[in-house]
Amino acid sequence: MSFKRFDPQDVVISAESISTPVWSGNITTLDTFVTSSTQIGGPSGEYYFNVYQSDPTGSSARVQFSVTYGNKDGGGSLVYNPIVPGKSPSSTIYGQYRSLVLGDEDTDFSFGNIPSDHFYAISIDRARYKEKLLPGTLDLVIKYQDDSLNIYVPGDGANKNFAELRLIDNSQVASTVTFTDAGREYELISGSLGSVYTGKNSNGYSANNGSYGKLYPDIGVILLNASALEAEASDGGVVLPVKKDAGVLHSDGITTNLQLGYDLFAKGQSFRVQSEETVSSNFVFVRARNNEFNYSSNPSLITGSGELRHNVMINSPQSYVTSVGLYNDNNDLLAIAKLSRPLLKDFTKESLIRVKLDY
Amino acid sequence: MGYLDNSIVTVDAILTKKGRELLARGDGSFKITQFALADDEIDYTLYNPLHPSGSALYGEAIENMPLLEAFPDETQIMKYKLVTLPRGTSKLPILDLGFSAITLKQGASVAITPQTLNFQGATSTFEASGYTATIADVRVLNTFSGVGINTEEAEQLNSTTTLGTNVSKNVIGTTINLTSTTINTLFGSRTRLQTTLTVIGRDSGARLTIPVTITKTN
Repeated sequence: MSFKRFDPQDVVISAESISTPVWSGNITTLDTFVTSSTQIGGPSGEYYFNVYQSDPTGSSARVQFSVTYGNKDGGGSLVYNPIVPGKSPSSTIYGQYRSLVLGDEDTDFSFGNIPSDHFYAISIDRARYKEKLLPGTLDLVIKYQDDSLNIYVPGDGANKNFAELRLIDNSQVASTVTFTDAGREYELISGSLGSVYTGKNSNGYSANNGSYGKLYPDIGVILLNASALEAEASDGGVVLPVKKDAGVLHSDGITTNLQLGYDLFAKGQSFRVQSEETVSSNFVFVRARNNEFNYSSNPSLITGSGELRHNVMINSPQSYVTSVGLYNDNNDLLAIAKLSRPLLKDFTKESLIRVKLDY
Repeated sequence: MGYLDNSIVTVDAILTKKGRELLARGDGSFKITQFALADDEIDYTLYNPLHPSGSALYGEAIENMPLLEAFPDETQIMKYKLVTLPRGTSKLPILDLGFSAITLKQGASVAITPQTLNFQGATSTFEASGYTATIADVRVLNTFSGVGINTEEAEQLNSTTTLGTNVSKNVIGTTINLTSTTINTLFGSRTRLQTTLTVIGRDSGARLTIPVTITKTN
């Protein structure tokens, strides 16, 4: 006999949680942020900027995430129609995320219980985050830089022309998890992995504008509280000059809110987060007893008349396992497992081989 | 294809073409219920009973060989199965199909009645559980069936249909009947179709593969 039936306990289904860096090429920290002028110049450029890990014209470039700006009153965007004020791409984005997360058109976003009429949304590419983001792995540096800034940094001895923040999610310190229409919700707070910065607020929030944003790991979305980012550095902000009234361009005639949002990442040069995926596997335990599978139908083992080629094998037969075939009742070969080297089998040995089959 | 890393003992399991087909059907036919072991790639002429260092190293040349990754074609793997036989067996079962190759014209039929040599003390015998026959490309045959074994398993297998794609098909019987296809479009510009027929003794595990050729008649 060459087939052996499995016992019920030999076939086990198991689910494993696999976590990996989100970014292409398994880069742990994304430090290069590139946009595509083609995408920005197209119709979608009014709504969001796609961010790549390398030159988007290169063959290895992949969208890592998109950054967009939402404003409840439609500020920072050109209205669709001049006779209908307040309806613009930014109000569309605000409504889109309100519907997605809050599920109620009469409720507005609040961050750490402080309402905010506008935010930046980072939507991580689905192929990057696979199934969901892994809370507790987010570590994001955002930076606003402007030559006109003159920020006093205590203990540093010099004023600087930039302000930066390091943000994490509060999953490691929160005692409860909030659930929304978009699944789990965590607040973004100031700190670095493993520690909360309490210089502005004991819970890592900004001084007066609540948390720095929200993490929605189940949909791969991060919201940044634009009100907190606008605040003075002394209040925990980065002095981001977000345009909230009508129109796209800022007073310099060049900058847009989307460009500002992209610059936060490009100048911060550090975005780290991991994905989490559940992989279902079939584990099959193949057990060969000492008196089983010691002979082979391999033609090199026998002569033309069927006699064993080596006489020493008559009383001490030896075979070498290289392959394990998994079959159904109809003897159809469903799956095949190969060993990495031949496994000796004889009447003095029993073998137990664990075969893993992923779907 | 590449060589597997042989510094550690690992297994690399993949679905075969047949496995993917049955999984796609979703009718419960993808259910792993049994296993077999094989020693494909092993050349037992490398086994050296005259090794100067003694019996512990007879299989030295075999045990350290690198192995290839698994092939997804179920007809190209698990060729040489390991079998369970009483200790002291000196002659291993081999099959005699009565043919070394089969050539059929379009629409022609042939019946194969395998025999097993060197099995259960008999020089030649018909195995009680019959034989499993596998045609590598089921499209080349109009009918492919086994008769003589009336178990539920055999009857279910013999009535199974495939999706009409290039996959294998198994039947069980003491006699295997083949009728070649009459469909011209399968030939394209060719005058012959070729595949293989593999027969395995269900009791002995003995195995034989022969080529099957279908010739175009019009």
